[in-house]
Amino acid sequence: MFAQFFGGYLLNKKLVSAADLTQAFEDKSNTRMRLGVLAINAGLMTAEQVEHVNVTQQSVDKRFGDLAVELGYITAAQVDKLLAQQPTEYLILGQTLVNNGALSNAEFEKAINDYKKSYQLSENDLNGGRSENAVKVVSDFYHLEKAENARVLTNYVTMLFKNIIRFIGSDFTPLESFMVREFDAKYLIEQKIIGDLSAVTCIAADKDEYIEFARKFAGETFGNIDDFVNETVGEFLNVTNGLFAVNESNEQGVELSMTPQRSIINNKITFDKAAFCIPVAFNFGEIDFLFSIN
Amino acid sequence: MVVQDLKVLICDDSMFARKKLNMTLSSFGVKDIFEAADGEEAVEKYKEHQPDVVFMDIIMPKITGIDALKEIMAINPDAKIVMASSVGTQGHLKEALKAGAADFLQKPIADDDAKTILENAAKGVL
Repeated sequence: MFAQFFGGYLLNKKLVSAADLTQAFEDKSNTRMRLGVLAINAGLMTAEQVEHVNVTQQSVDKRFGDLAVELGYITAAQVDKLLAQQPTEYLILGQTLVNNGALSNAEFEKAINDYKKSYQLSENDLNGGRSENAVKVVSDFYHLEKAENARVLTNYVTMLFKNIIRFIGSDFTPLESFMVREFDAKYLIEQKIIGDLSAVTCIAADKDEYIEFARKFAGETFGNIDDFVNETVGEFLNVTNGLFAVNESNEQGVELSMTPQRSIINNKITFDKAAFCIPVAFNFGEIDFLFSIN
Repeated sequence: MVVQDLKVLICDDSMFARKKLNMTLSSFGVKDIFEAADGEEAVEKYKEHQPDVVFMDIIMPKITGIDALKEIMAINPDAKIVMASSVGTQGHLKEALKAGAADFLQKPIADDDAKTILENAAKGVL
């Protein structure tokens, strides 16, 4: 999940464009990590030193690591340690952006250091798959600690992103959130969470994006929006809300249930309490996820 | 009895969920698969087909899966009904088990879990 939020950070800071990120997500499966980016990320070399080794390599037939050791930038033991590391998703994304020319080594160095500093993330936070790390990244990215119902909102949004990765795919970028009281829906599925807490949850998109989201979840191709497409998008929402309800039940002793889903087409939906709207950019377009706690 | 000979009823208001589970069960060789889209239809289809196993969603229009479970258990106290819901909260679990559910699966249903249910039903240990 950290790769997607690091991508969102780069986009928010206007360090890369949405097109750069889409391209990088498409290319990253073929990306081979380079020692320079690993060394920058670990704080063992500066971007300037990495560039120097890269330039020197053009006239000397030596591997990056050997040359960096010879130039005194890094020790052989550090090289071995870096090479033994399993590259994490966010680093592969960073490397792909560097390979594609969207970021220079220096820009990557500054971005990754600023990102870790801004969100007080350690390398351990970013490497680990522990859920509390995911919760922290989500909460920090959306500044949820200051929100009303911060705990519920953070847990819901974290569950949502886990399910997007699990059922739709990992090639997406979370965009900046905003609050809405009304939402003009082209195609929208709504499901209410009821019980010890009451909330309204929605997934909304334009036609093509809505169909593509359904296709990704169902693994089937759809030509047009029909009941089956609506129910497919609705089932993603249902599964997400259900898993959220189970977590709340197990961890907080809160009992929740849900209403059947409702489809809204070309109409306005109004929320009693302002809804937290999270747009997510996929390679096929944007999907809006809305969550309003009453 | 073998898994392939089981009669199975899938009750879910989501066409997507029904289709997905139907495909999974078909891949195990189950031939007699019936579907219901709400709690009322679930009870009707149960009476009509007397299935060996029922996969029952909880949140459905008309009557809920829990109420349908109670009605079917009243018809046949030996009915093998597996609640298959996205809302596996402690409260729902307790309510379903108290009403006589044979098991509870959290959606999305993993293929292995569905298979285990069928194998246990075929062995008569569900």
